[in-house]
Amino acid sequence: MKILVCIKQVPDMESKFKIAASGTWYDSADLAWRMNEYDEYAVEQAVQLKEQVKEADLTVLCIGSERVKETMKKALAMGCDRGAHVADDDCAGKEPYEIAAIIAEYAKDKGFDLIFTGMQSQDRGSAQVGVLAAEMLGIPSISTIVTFSYADGRIEVKRELEGGVKALLKTRTPALVTCQLGLNTPRYPTLPNIMKAKKKELISLPVADLLKVEARMETVKMYFPEKKGGGLVLEGDPGQLADKLIQILKEKTGVLA
Amino acid sequence: MEFTREIYWNVGHGALTLVPMYLLVIAALAVLVWGFRKRLAVYRQGLPLDRTDQLGARIIDMLQNVLLQKKVARVVWPGLLHGLFFWGFFLLLIGTTLIVIQADFTDLLFGIKFLKGTFYKLFSIILDLAGIVSILMLGGLLVRRYILKPEGLETKRDDAIMHGLLFTILISGFVIEGARMAVTEMGTPLAHWSPIGMAVAGLMSGMDEGALRMLHKTTWWFHLLLVMGFIVAIPFTKFRHILTTSANYLFADRGPKGKLIPLDLENEEAETFGATTLKEMTWKDIFDADACTLCKRCQDRCPAYATGKPLSPMKIVNQIGEAAFTDPDTKLIDLIGKDALWACTTCRACQEICPASIEHIRKIVDLRRSMVLMEGEFPGEEVMAAMEQTEVNGNPLGIGYASRGDWAEGLGVKTLEEDSEVDVLYFVGCYASFDKRNIAVARSFIKLCHAAGVKVGILGKEEKCCGEPMRKMGNEYLYNSLAQENIETINGYGVKKIVTSCPHCFNTLAKDYRDLGFSVEVVSQVVFLEGLLLDGRLKVKAEGLSCTYHDSCYLGRHNDIYDAPRALITAAGGKLVEMAKNREEAFCCSAGGGRILADENIGERISVKRVMMAHATGAEVLLSNCPFCLTMFEDGVKGAGVEETLRPRDIAEVLAERLL
Repeated sequence: MKILVCIKQVPDMESKFKIAASGTWYDSADLAWRMNEYDEYAVEQAVQLKEQVKEADLTVLCIGSERVKETMKKALAMGCDRGAHVADDDCAGKEPYEIAAIIAEYAKDKGFDLIFTGMQSQDRGSAQVGVLAAEMLGIPSISTIVTFSYADGRIEVKRELEGGVKALLKTRTPALVTCQLGLNTPRYPTLPNIMKAKKKELISLPVADLLKVEARMETVKMYFPEKKGGGLVLEGDPGQLADKLIQILKEKTGVLA
Repeated sequence: MEFTREIYWNVGHGALTLVPMYLLVIAALAVLVWGFRKRLAVYRQGLPLDRTDQLGARIIDMLQNVLLQKKVARVVWPGLLHGLFFWGFFLLLIGTTLIVIQADFTDLLFGIKFLKGTFYKLFSIILDLAGIVSILMLGGLLVRRYILKPEGLETKRDDAIMHGLLFTILISGFVIEGARMAVTEMGTPLAHWSPIGMAVAGLMSGMDEGALRMLHKTTWWFHLLLVMGFIVAIPFTKFRHILTTSANYLFADRGPKGKLIPLDLENEEAETFGATTLKEMTWKDIFDADACTLCKRCQDRCPAYATGKPLSPMKIVNQIGEAAFTDPDTKLIDLIGKDALWACTTCRACQEICPASIEHIRKIVDLRRSMVLMEGEFPGEEVMAAMEQTEVNGNPLGIGYASRGDWAEGLGVKTLEEDSEVDVLYFVGCYASFDKRNIAVARSFIKLCHAAGVKVGILGKEEKCCGEPMRKMGNEYLYNSLAQENIETINGYGVKKIVTSCPHCFNTLAKDYRDLGFSVEVVSQVVFLEGLLLDGRLKVKAEGLSCTYHDSCYLGRHNDIYDAPRALITAAGGKLVEMAKNREEAFCCSAGGGRILADENIGERISVKRVMMAHATGAEVLLSNCPFCLTMFEDGVKGAGVEETLRPRDIAEVLAERLL
């Protein structure tokens, strides 16, 4: 079985963000970098699948500068077998359609039975890359999965819908799934696996070899939300708090009318 | 008249006595040696560890602890009973040895007798008193064990054997003496030099000489057999502590206190890290179990045990020993239990009090290492998250690394990147950098430094967690990478002196980093401030303050810094009311050993328990010197419902308010 897991390196969301001079993305200075949270679920699920079927080859793909190799090493330490690094210093400037096309171009002749991606990235949050890549590859895709099982060339997954409703879906491989919070608890890499990861294959491919499409949309502007009316924190003992709250609701809203 | 007595009186000094007697002695000693050789093979299952360096100091330490019972005597009543019993029994051993030397060597071969005259009188009275003191002390120990039954004291078959044998040996000794004196010494002035023997002889006054001689002879042989039984029992019962505990003083960890043995992370051949079975622990970890006398002093002081967590340091030590002697492949983590291993705060209360110099913490961390490094396991998801946060942002709180220096805003402190010409580098630590409550402490410290004219610099966003909580949790790999980055940064600026406000940072930089080639002088905040005060550079006014002081584990037991913080408190006008558990006996706040990262889900909360101890002093302020303690106490006063009457504060805050 051949498995591909696509990951993205994103800034830690606790970082202090500043808008870059271009005005269309954030400034990368003083940021701490890590694996996109949803991609961690994807890696974990891919590794669990590999452990289940035993005979499997698991590739981790990541697009970005040299810096993203650190994050790829974590995926390798978690259990991926090899790394495919698409070297691109301007990946933040590419829109989801281009990113999906790069992935599809890489995957098209490799015969992957399953492709895992995160359901979206924490920084751009388009949630498009996985499903677009599946379309380009002509394989079924299921987004935002929260459970996953595999047997005899078929997968069975649950998707999370609005209001806590779940949907159960089945499909044949090859297929692509995008992973949502709750799917699993990503493992902490063990030291022997961290050491082994240092020796695993990690090939860099120039982005120009894989990017065969034109962008279809452009980011016009990135900005912090304008400050509107601030929040109000009530303090005091619960009885008084309740009175204050009722008063505010009466004065400022119509809910008690 | 010549003051002496006939040795081997009534039993005879011919071959009929000496041959069976010496055969018995040789046989008993042979069993003793055989018994220990078997145990030696078990100790050897462990990994090598050199404990023969500084041999001179080791021997002195051993003699002090054996002869003066230094560590044993630290707990008053049982310590006194054991100490005096030891001396009584030890004098009887010396006395018996002198008899053997005279009767079977010097007198037999050269006709030299030294047990006579004044020396004999002293010999006689000393041994007589040694005997009665031994009996009384043993009686005291017996009452304690079998009648008072202190909580947690395990009484086993060994204890019954030991009490029984020792009592019978001591009492039969007086019977022999009494019978002999009744026939040969009563009425002579010499009898008064054996007052107990004389009293026993008095009890036998109704017996005729034949019966006395018969009683004397049979009891003599019975006594001899019992003593041989005692020698034979040494390797097979807790009597072994006579040799193993003494040897453990010799093989003790000679510090620096609280420094862990680093793991070799460069070794690419290594397949395992940390310990899962005792074969991955050292021989000393097995030997420790043999040196343990189950005195439970460690257990009595363990904050985890005291709050209902499944950890007893004594039990862990003995479980490892039990595995070594039964099935060396036992999975120790399953045997001991993960909850027990994670519960340890590495507060060192166990190790500090242990009268047998056992090393508890190293064992626990070794087992944690294998859980973390080999299985990726932690006590909870919150701990794994903190580890990941530290990997990303260099602090377990998960706050963006770039804001690490923000706390100092407006204080006029520069980073070394801006100006590296400083008197001291303040290694702030994660909590004083990011935690709102502890930022107040860091700011106080800077104010004090500025008032004293000390030029302080910080690393700002270049500083990373020192790695201490990660290391104690078993994550040696993460600790190592954090340490190396910090060392590289600090060395890059040519820093001469570092001050830390966190005792955990202090212990780590000053001791653990030494193994990684770090050599810059590191001083803890309280010692640094005390120095400024003594130099007259720092001037504070004494202003009344009702307070108690909590000794943090890593400043106190791990570094023996007890007086400097108290001197600062006094200088600030603090009226210090000590808690019952203070200094070496201080009760942990719960946050050591990486527990600051973990939720406390089992048993009572340690911090609440400690806060209640502080509350009981009636003091208004609970002073401490450690950001972890302060964090725990801020929580603890709420948990205990005393936040209105007891206020946790750091000493630096109090001083900064009293600046002149």
